[in-house]
Amino acid sequence: MIINRRSLLTTALTLGAMKAFPGLSYAQARPLVFATFTGSWEEAHKAVLVPAFRKANADAAMVLDPMLSVDQIAKVNAAKANPPIDVMLHDPGPALVAIGQDLVEPYPVEKSAYYKDLIAEAQEPMGPAPFFQVVGLTYNPEAVKTPPTSWADLWKPEFKGRVGITNLNSTLGTGWLVEIAKMRGGSEANVDPGFKALEELKPNLAAVAANPGALATLFQQGQIDISPGNFNAIQILKARGVPVEFVAPKEGAIAFKTTIHIVKNSPNRELAFKLIEAALTPEVQTTLMNPPYLIVPTNSKVTMGGEIARVLAKDTAELKQKFVFQDWKKINEQRSAWIERFNREIKI
Amino acid sequence: MGAAPASRDVTSYGMGLAAPLALFFLLFFVAPLLQLLWLSLHNDTAALHWGLGQYLHFLADPFSLGVLGSTLLLGAEVTAVCLVLGFPIAWLYQRVGPKLQTIIILIVLLPLLTSVVVRTFAWIVILGRQGIINATLQSLGIIDTPLKLLYTQFGVVIALAQVQMPLMTLPLITALGRIDPNLDDASCSLGAGSWRTFFRIVLPLSLPGVIAGCTLTYAAAITAFITQSLIGGGQMLFMPMYLYQQASTLQNWPFAAAISIIFLLAVLAVVSVFTTLGRMSRGYGGA
Repeated sequence: MIINRRSLLTTALTLGAMKAFPGLSYAQARPLVFATFTGSWEEAHKAVLVPAFRKANADAAMVLDPMLSVDQIAKVNAAKANPPIDVMLHDPGPALVAIGQDLVEPYPVEKSAYYKDLIAEAQEPMGPAPFFQVVGLTYNPEAVKTPPTSWADLWKPEFKGRVGITNLNSTLGTGWLVEIAKMRGGSEANVDPGFKALEELKPNLAAVAANPGALATLFQQGQIDISPGNFNAIQILKARGVPVEFVAPKEGAIAFKTTIHIVKNSPNRELAFKLIEAALTPEVQTTLMNPPYLIVPTNSKVTMGGEIARVLAKDTAELKQKFVFQDWKKINEQRSAWIERFNREIKI
Repeated sequence: MGAAPASRDVTSYGMGLAAPLALFFLLFFVAPLLQLLWLSLHNDTAALHWGLGQYLHFLADPFSLGVLGSTLLLGAEVTAVCLVLGFPIAWLYQRVGPKLQTIIILIVLLPLLTSVVVRTFAWIVILGRQGIINATLQSLGIIDTPLKLLYTQFGVVIALAQVQMPLMTLPLITALGRIDPNLDDASCSLGAGSWRTFFRIVLPLSLPGVIAGCTLTYAAAITAFITQSLIGGGQMLFMPMYLYQQASTLQNWPFAAAISIIFLLAVLAVVSVFTTLGRMSRGYGGA
C-alpha cells in the first residue's frame, strides 16, 4: 500500500472527527440507550435502576440519554429503521402517540417475571408502567395555614393573586384541566366546564408557568402559594428546605402512568427487555419509593412506606381508591384544540 | 499547487480557501432550511399531501398574526430600551480615562460571560413578588401590595434588554470611537451648543454603529426563547414558544415549519429595513 499525502490526510481527518464526535462510529455494537426524563428522574435512574440492571446483566454497556418524551418521539421518528434509542419513557399522552406512530414493540409479557405482579392499571401490553406520577395540591404551609382539601379551594377569594398553574404543554397542565372539567360536570371529551372554571380562576392566578419545573421554582420565589403540583417535584423542593407541602385532594389525586417501552427495530432488544424487567422488580421499586426519590411503586408486592404511605396511600387497595386515572386516548384527540384555546383565552 | 500566473487579474480571488466553509454552510444550514421549506408545503402532519394549507392557516388566523405582531413589537421595544440606555454608556466610554474604560468594558461584557439561564433566573429573583424591587419599595413604604413585575410585557422587555445590551453597546463603542474628537470642538467653535453638536454631528456619524447594534439586538431579542418563556410565563405567547408548542408538544411539524419560515421572512424583512437605513446613513458616515 502506497501511503500518499491524500490518504494520510483522509485518515487523519477521519480519526480526528471520530475523536471530536465520539458518537460518530459504526452502528453495530452500540451500548443500550435508555431515554429517561431530565431532572429527578435522571438522578433516580442513574443511582438505582442503572446499577441494578448492570448487576443483573454482567455490566452490560448502557447510556442514559435524558430528554422529554416528545423529543424522544421526534428522535426515533427521524430514524425509524435504525433508532438511536432502545428504551423510551413516556407520560400517558406521548405514550399513545408513540404507539400510534408504530414506534414501539409489544412487551414480551409471557417472558416477563414481574409483569403479572403489577397492579392492573400498570399492566400495559405495549409497555408496562414501572412508575406513577401523582398530581395533587401543593401549597406553602407558612402562607396557607389551613391545608387545602379540594381542587375547588384554588378558587377561594383568600388566594387572590397567589395561585399558580402551568399551561397545557405539559401533562400536568392538561391532566389538571381535565380534572377541573370533571369537577364541574365535564369529562375527557368535554372540557368546556374546565375552561369556564379557568376563566373564573383568573383573579386568583399569579402565574401561568411555561413548564412544571418553572412552576416549582415559583414556590421558591414566593411568587405563588398554592398550585396543582407533582408529588415528586415537591419532595425535591422540600429536601432543599423550601416550605412546601403536598396534599391529595378529596376528588382524588391524578395519577399518570409513566410507561417504559422497547423501541421498534432496536438492535438491543434483549438488553432493553432486561432493563425494563429491572425497573419492575420489587427491589428497585422499593429503593425508588424511599427518600430521596419517593416514586410511587406499581409492583403490588412492594409494601408502601414512609412519606408515600403518609400522604398518598398505605397499600395498593387504597392507592386504587384514591388515584384518578384519565383517558388519554380521548384527551389526545382534542389536545391540540385545547392548547390553541388556552393560548387564546388565558391571558392574565 | 503551482504559483499563480503573473497575468492573473488582481481583483479576482481564488475561491479554494472559502470552499470548506461554503460546503459547511450548504450542508448544515442551506440543506436543513430547504428541508424545512419542503416540510412546510404539506397540508397534513404526516407530510404526504402538498399544499399551502399551513401558510393559509397561519395568515388567515388573527391569533397567529397577533403572536407574530407582538413578537416583532417586543423586539422593537427591547431595541429601543437598549439604544436609549446603551448610547450614553458608549459615549461615556469614549470620554473617560483608560482605567474607567476598562471598568466600563468589563461591565458591558460581563453579561455575555454568564449563562443566559442564570441571568434570566436572576431576573426572576429581582422582579418577583418578594423580589428585590418589591421588597425595597415596600420597606420604603412607597407601595403596600407588591407590584406585578414578573409575567408582564414590562418584565420581559427589561430582562431582555439587560441580556442583549452588550450586542448594542459594543458596536456603538466602535462607531463612536471612529469619530474624530476634533469635530466636536470644531462644531462648538462654530457656535453650536452641545445638543446641536450631538444631533448634527455625533448621532449621524454614529449611525452605522446604531444600525448594527439595532439589528443584532432585535434579532437576538425576538428569538430569545428562554428569557421570553421564563419571564413572560406560560400565558404570554411569542413566536419561539408558539413554534416549540407546535413542533414538540403537538408534533405538528408542517405547521411548525411554516411558522418558522414566516418568522424567518418577517425577521429578514425587519433586518433588511435596518440595512437599507444603514446604507442610507453611509452618506453621513463617509465624512
